[in-house]
Amino acid sequence: MKNPEKTETKASFAREHDMTVGEIGAANLRIQCRGINVYYGEKHAIHNVSLDIGRNEVIALIGPSGCGKSTFLRCLNRMNDTIVGCRVSGEITLDGQNIYDSNLDVVPLRAQVGMVFQKPNPFPKSIFENVAYGPRIHGLVASKAELEEIVEGSLRRAGLWDEVKDYLLHPGTGLSGGQQQRLCIARTIAVNPEVILMDEPCSALDPIATAKIEQLIDELRNHYTIAIVTHSMQQAARVSQRTAYFHLGKLIEVGDTAQIFTNPKHQLTEDYITGRFG
Amino acid sequence: MNKSKEDTYIRSEGARTHAIVRAGLAKRRAAEMRFRLYGLISIVVGLSFLVILFGNIFSHAWPAFQQTYVALDVKFDEAVLVPDARFDAGTQASADYPALLKRSLYALFPEVTDRQEKRSLYGLLSSGAAHEVQKRLQEKPDLLGKTERIWVPADDDVDMFTKGAMDRNAEEGDRRLADSQLAWLDKLRADGRLEKHFNMTFFTAGDSREPELAGVWGAVMGSFFTLLVTMTLSLPLGIATAVYLEEFAPRNRWTDIIEVNINNLAAVPSIVFGLLGLSVFINFFGLPRSSPMVGGLVLTLMTLPVIIIASRSALKSVPPSIREAALGVGASQMQTVFHHVLPLAMPGMLTGAIIGMARALGESAPLLMIGMVAFIVDIPGSMAEPSTVLPVQIYLWADSSERGFVERTSAAILVLMAFLILMNGLAVYLRKRFERRW
Repeated sequence: MKNPEKTETKASFAREHDMTVGEIGAANLRIQCRGINVYYGEKHAIHNVSLDIGRNEVIALIGPSGCGKSTFLRCLNRMNDTIVGCRVSGEITLDGQNIYDSNLDVVPLRAQVGMVFQKPNPFPKSIFENVAYGPRIHGLVASKAELEEIVEGSLRRAGLWDEVKDYLLHPGTGLSGGQQQRLCIARTIAVNPEVILMDEPCSALDPIATAKIEQLIDELRNHYTIAIVTHSMQQAARVSQRTAYFHLGKLIEVGDTAQIFTNPKHQLTEDYITGRFG
Repeated sequence: MNKSKEDTYIRSEGARTHAIVRAGLAKRRAAEMRFRLYGLISIVVGLSFLVILFGNIFSHAWPAFQQTYVALDVKFDEAVLVPDARFDAGTQASADYPALLKRSLYALFPEVTDRQEKRSLYGLLSSGAAHEVQKRLQEKPDLLGKTERIWVPADDDVDMFTKGAMDRNAEEGDRRLADSQLAWLDKLRADGRLEKHFNMTFFTAGDSREPELAGVWGAVMGSFFTLLVTMTLSLPLGIATAVYLEEFAPRNRWTDIIEVNINNLAAVPSIVFGLLGLSVFINFFGLPRSSPMVGGLVLTLMTLPVIIIASRSALKSVPPSIREAALGVGASQMQTVFHHVLPLAMPGMLTGAIIGMARALGESAPLLMIGMVAFIVDIPGSMAEPSTVLPVQIYLWADSSERGFVERTSAAILVLMAFLILMNGLAVYLRKRFERRW
């Protein structure tokens, strides 16, 4: 409120043009979304969202509950296909390939764009089987030794190996919540995806488990492109390089994380990050 | 309001609320106790009816597991059995075994000379007694010319008498055995020639007009073949339908119509399926009447909707997070279903299927329509032979006038219930065995 005149121009600009504030493009382009609209039956869940995601960057999607950030995330590996009555229009390209092409097979797409869910959802099988499942169904391994190598490597990268190496044949559901979530991350990276989508991966975890996952995300950034939905603004500030703010199905503002949190250009973003609502 | 005033206000309000809560507490507690009491009463009433039912059936069925036998010293006389000095399979079957029995029986009562009297004496033995003698000789051909003591089944009236179901003080005309017959029986018993033994016939024989010769084995085999047909058809069909409808089929008007129809079929009275079986399987396709094949097909129609509905609800109860997890690592729809969803839904599906099969085992109405109600003595050896099933056998015996069939009806009910309990136990076991946490 220091500069009422500036705030007023920003708000009126947004009202008049109904456009996203900030730079939607990204250096080192990997995923490009243009004019995405999502409908659940009659409900218009996402309005005309355009956003780019770059290589080796962590982009955080923030916003109040029901603003469509999870829906947008699920568009990126066509997880929304499984929801009855969900329609997606617009164009999303991954490395130049339109992923909503009717000829495109979703199986390789989902191997390429992995996903970690809000609630840890390990298969009710052993820890080893959980991680081995992906490589096995995609035929990535020729021998048992190779499979064991992949399982160990994935668990190591997920920071879980030392905790579970003696219990590989125990059920994955017997682990603690944080361990289960890291097991799910290990399962996702076992198929060597290029992009990892994370839908509030820490919402069910305590602060220590959360810290471990955040550290993990930071390490994973060197190999993968990561899009993370989070309700915790501190988390977004800690792990991401870019941040996108969603409000009522619209992408309000996107920009460098530091800029969004210190100098938001849109009134709604400012209200949200200063805790005026949300 | 200043600080202390507000404080007092809050405190007094708090006390008031507390008092109101306390005042209502007794009423609340009473309501709770009443509700528990109602539950307890209904359970006790239900259980006592169950006890009465079981007690009644058990007490009726108990005597059927024993059968009265008469011991006779049978001389396998060559002069009677081999009149033309040729003894082979052909003449052996047609030899006069009753004559052997009559001889040894009359030898015990030399005072009986009158033709009429002799006939009523021989009437103490079952009409199947001669068959026992024949069977014994077949087992041991070297008995020819020798004498052996054989226990042969007594007539069902004698059986009833030894089991105490006949009052010997009643007027002679009011009971099925004459005074003279009772006297002979007393003598036989005094000689240790009248005893009750375990009734093996009941578990090994087919149906008969004579209670002492009737058994459930024919009906058990009929039920077995019928259920075999039902299971091999309805289990794969039902599970495949449920998986397709639940996991693969698009949600549109057609699948809605199919779903409504399946639910309706589950509520169709079973006798309607019997009529359908009669007109389609027997009259149109010409499959053998009264056969377990047709019975199984009819029961398949009846069980399918039950299995489909149970399997679908088992599939629905698998948490969607498991599906998402599998799809998320790039499993195809089919891999997701077969690797993750089906194993988790299996216990529920099996339970539903077995409950459906148990219902089919206890079903009689539709089978009456396709002729499985016929009187069939032979034990069926295949799915195309005429046979009957346990519930229909119970129905047939319950309808018979002989006193001996009353206890056999109850005993057959016990056999049927034993199978039902076995199947339900299997369902519980399978559910426990395959149940997994997630």
